[in-house]
Amino acid sequence: MTASKTATPGRLLTQVAGERQTGVLVVGGHPGGAVYVLEGRVIYAESPAAPGVGELLTASGRLAARTWQNALDLGTSTARVGRLLVEQGHLTRGELELCVLGAIYDAAYFALSVDAVPVDFLAGATHWLGPVVHVDPEAINREVGRRIRLLDEIFPDRRVDVTAVAPATRLPRERVTLTSMQWELLVHSDGQRTPADLALLLGRAGYACVQELRRMAAMGLIELPETPVATPSPEFVRMPRARGAAADVKRPSPNSRPSTEARPSTNSRPPTDPRPSTDPRPAPQDAPSVPVVAGARAAVPASALAAPPLPVLISAPPAPSPPTPPPPEPDPPRHAVDDSSTQALYRPPRLARRKPGAKLPKEVAGEAPPVHPGTDEVLLKRIRTALRALR
Amino acid sequence: MPGVDHCLQEAMAIPGAVGASIVDYTTGFPVATTGAAPNSDHEAAAAGTADVIQAANSRSLFVSAMPHDLLEDLIITTAGGYHLLRMVQTEFDSRLVLYVWLDRVQGNLAVARRRMQKLADELVAT
Repeated sequence: MTASKTATPGRLLTQVAGERQTGVLVVGGHPGGAVYVLEGRVIYAESPAAPGVGELLTASGRLAARTWQNALDLGTSTARVGRLLVEQGHLTRGELELCVLGAIYDAAYFALSVDAVPVDFLAGATHWLGPVVHVDPEAINREVGRRIRLLDEIFPDRRVDVTAVAPATRLPRERVTLTSMQWELLVHSDGQRTPADLALLLGRAGYACVQELRRMAAMGLIELPETPVATPSPEFVRMPRARGAAADVKRPSPNSRPSTEARPSTNSRPPTDPRPSTDPRPAPQDAPSVPVVAGARAAVPASALAAPPLPVLISAPPAPSPPTPPPPEPDPPRHAVDDSSTQALYRPPRLARRKPGAKLPKEVAGEAPPVHPGTDEVLLKRIRTALRALR
Repeated sequence: MPGVDHCLQEAMAIPGAVGASIVDYTTGFPVATTGAAPNSDHEAAAAGTADVIQAANSRSLFVSAMPHDLLEDLIITTAGGYHLLRMVQTEFDSRLVLYVWLDRVQGNLAVARRRMQKLADELVAT
């Protein structure tokens, strides 16, 4: 094993291939990945941003999860999972080869398209799938370069590839035509899922997703990342982020204002709504938090902090922030009530932090319990995706 | 059990076949190639193949005019040859097309089309 060093992974791949080595090239950084080399030829590649052979075959329903798991259990130790699947008649040789080839080039794009990341070569390591195809590393390097150029020709903004996907709320054109893949991506994007999440969820090649997302970015169908990616650390399994105006760090203490104003300003209770119900437009002070979907961006909690307190809702000036520092993790996403026509947000009652088990303040406890938005399907799905990625 | 290489060998056994390849049409990348290619450049040919498929799939109104009426194959004839493109329908996510270049004089379009259909089906059939 060589010491971890910063290098261009593609160049190191050429080097180990030239020496006809066997082992795995582990690429750090984000998304990172691994390229498995057998006697100088690439036999497999994987990356967290690209669904692997198992995900492709099971997500599409081609193989039952149990069939795949059985093959893993039987063949992992002897590195012949791929051969087993063909021998047991679950896949044709052609299918397996095409699937592995696709997965190799897909993962190689994510693992090798970066410069100057920590790269390790672990000599002797093999992959449990076993050698199914042998690809010339030079062909891979060439193809990775070509794929980078292809994307830049479509829309030269690499941030699209790693930022959570949010469909544009209003389109900059009268009519759009979507491919089936673009449709799939749009209906599954919720402002939280990154392109890598979507690829895993849909069982689609990571590069194909990124390509369609760049096309949609070029057409103005998805929101563009507003801020430069400050640190190149897109988390591939994201913790839930605060959406919209949910991240109120400067919470006024409940006794500093009358109880009526602690109510959520949903349209379900128009009589108590402090906002004039005839006005469908949000108050101008709401402006920073209005695009609900864009609110998932990392930048928004910061802008929500900088935004002035909403005078429509809070008549008393907010109490000075509590001496305790704000929690590092923003609150889990709260669901916006589905009245996008008025674009009003569901604001949960603002409460001071209580001890565990302490009772609610009287004025809040007297009211009806807050509307439960229902099971958080999005979170459940994300947990499922994360668990699947761990397998 | 036919693999990718076997499939291409069979494609080359089609009367009049000059070259064959399997192309990923999202990226225009030749996944596997054999024989000759137009201008002796399989990669350029693959990129062109991808363009043709994309055009037929997304810009021609007769493809997918009805639900499930998907593109099956494309035949381009030139004065000197036939270029046949057959979609390879895998159940897992992939966008692949089998390309065969036939000599105009020795090739038989109907025979070649049937043989390619069989090849593409066998490649992925259980």
